[in-house]
Amino acid sequence: MQYDVDIGGRRRHVVVTRSGGGFAVTVDGRAHFVDAARIDAQTMSLVVDRVPPAEHTPARPASPGDRRGYEVSVAPLPGAGELQVHVGPVPVVVSMNGTRSWGRKHEGHGAGSGPQRVVAPMPGKIVRVLVAAGDHVSPRQPVVVVEAMKMENELRAGREGTIGEIHVRQGMSVEAGALLLVIQ
Amino acid sequence: MKKVLIANRGEIAVRVARACRELGLSTVAVYSECDRTALHVRYADEAYPIGPSAPRESYLRIDRLLDAAKQSGADAVHPGYGFLAENEAFAAAVGDAGLTFIGPSPAAIKTMGSKTAARAAAIRAGAPVVPGIEQPLADADVASVAASIGYPLLVKAVAGGGGKGMRTVTEPSELVHAVRAARSEAGAAFGDASVYLERRLTRPRHIEVQLLADAHGTVVPFVERECSIQRRHQKVVEESPSLVVSPALRAAMTSAAASIAAAVGYTNAGTIEFLVDEDGRFYFLEMNTRLQVEHPITELVTGLDLVRWQIRIARGEKLDIDPARMLTPNGHAIECRIYAEDPDNNFLPSPGRILQLRAPAGPGIRDDSGAAAGLDVPIFYDPMISKLAAWAEDRPLAIARMRRALDEYLVAGIKTTLPFFRWLVAQPEFLEGRFHTTYLDEVLKTRNGEPFTRADADVEEIAAIGAALQVMLAPSASVAASAAGGPAPGSQTWRARARVEGLRGA
Repeated sequence: MQYDVDIGGRRRHVVVTRSGGGFAVTVDGRAHFVDAARIDAQTMSLVVDRVPPAEHTPARPASPGDRRGYEVSVAPLPGAGELQVHVGPVPVVVSMNGTRSWGRKHEGHGAGSGPQRVVAPMPGKIVRVLVAAGDHVSPRQPVVVVEAMKMENELRAGREGTIGEIHVRQGMSVEAGALLLVIQ
Repeated sequence: MKKVLIANRGEIAVRVARACRELGLSTVAVYSECDRTALHVRYADEAYPIGPSAPRESYLRIDRLLDAAKQSGADAVHPGYGFLAENEAFAAAVGDAGLTFIGPSPAAIKTMGSKTAARAAAIRAGAPVVPGIEQPLADADVASVAASIGYPLLVKAVAGGGGKGMRTVTEPSELVHAVRAARSEAGAAFGDASVYLERRLTRPRHIEVQLLADAHGTVVPFVERECSIQRRHQKVVEESPSLVVSPALRAAMTSAAASIAAAVGYTNAGTIEFLVDEDGRFYFLEMNTRLQVEHPITELVTGLDLVRWQIRIARGEKLDIDPARMLTPNGHAIECRIYAEDPDNNFLPSPGRILQLRAPAGPGIRDDSGAAAGLDVPIFYDPMISKLAAWAEDRPLAIARMRRALDEYLVAGIKTTLPFFRWLVAQPEFLEGRFHTTYLDEVLKTRNGEPFTRADADVEEIAAIGAALQVMLAPSASVAASAAGGPAPGSQTWRARARVEGLRGA
């Protein structure tokens, strides 16, 4: 089986074939031999080796750094079509086979082009609109304050631009996903 | 007392129910519509619905809470923290219904709930307060009062809390606008637009003293908690003891705290909050007339169960603990408040279903949690999912344990502040104890949104392998559907189904 796996804007080509009791996996051509044991529906214990286990003979025993153990859990993230993969404690956001990720990108980094739609990430009440149509905004500049979950949350511009339409005003209640304003 | 109704939800409702169970008391949970399957409901002996999910229609409804108490035959009510915990009308209504309120008297809640009345009480008790006024400010006096206090100063809501209705003023020209803004915010948040002025200390620490007081006149203060690591006026990490509190300062602060509590005839558990300036002088800030979120670290360094004592005091029992022992910390404890927030996206709340949860364990670790796999983090309430505390014989070992525990903690399906804490507990300022109440906001500003999680190339490679194997072998369709783009990705039905399948597989 072949998969294209996108992590942090970089695509890796992964090829998996069954091999012995485990799997031979290449990532962009680099070979790994993986013993995968399922723990539950989302979790696997992986023991990853650089050579096939059968090659660990008395003449060539495993050495330190071979047979690295990882606990990996894979769960879909709500809404975004992305997977949240934990490698031990470290969360990694993954999308596969060119699946578009629709959620936010790292603010301020992925500048991008075209209008940016600022939407409510959760239902809440508009506490303040900090910009007016025609205002120039810089990356990470707060544009709207939404109160939800007992907290006031600043929503920020993802990139530089000019405020276009504003669809909300102070005091309005909004649903998750509601379009608040557009940055041209 | 035989049966306690817990007028709260989440981790604190579970915490209180545990203490009740240890005392042989039965417990009654209450729940809003979205909390039917919450942990506190599953843990309690009995459970009563009290209305729709919005707090105003359920956890803040005194009538429905009292009705549940009556139906269940509860003879006592524990308010937890938040919601109605510092509402004197609720405490009074519980008493009027013939039930025991596990907390202070309505009069004490009322006095200490007003910042100006609390300042006046502290002055009467001989405790130092931040220079300022003890009366709500009249608009005519603003300029003269400000000039006599000096700049920079703070405009604060008399009924304030959580940083709302508060403005910093660094020079006279900003004063009128700041007072107007604070009044309007205070009016909207608390229904009371009165404000007052006090001097703004530069780079203070927030250090507080827990105390217990019984109905027989005994007040016992505890070794201090250091709560200076805050984000936007909300505590994030707490520890006990504080690195900057000498035995002499501890003696002075704890005795001031006890005097203030005695001056208002306080009973049950409460906390006196102080600011400590760079010269080690301390000033009364406010009193919280309830159990605090961060009470576990005090329990860890004293070995006492504060909730158990809240109940015993409410039953009229005498405090018979050794006060000297409560001022001598055994080792060191640290707490991190784990939130369902995305630290890499300006700490926006990240509600949703927890697909997987594995809490840390082992020596010196305590996890007070209201979360579980399969449960939603609702959008209606504070998004704290757990309080992770580490105890060890000294601070460096406690930090090592906290780091180890943070690395063991797995929460999948939503974003949490765990990656932020793994970063924070490795910062030199934290390790060396060099921080104050604005430290965290300042350092977060300089990071300018840089992600807290940096997976290295090896970890990303393992993540790619793991994702590919999971999609190839997944026993549930959810991951494969999600990976393949699924039917109409992003649609509500698709999302709902993915969640159901994710749960079924768990």
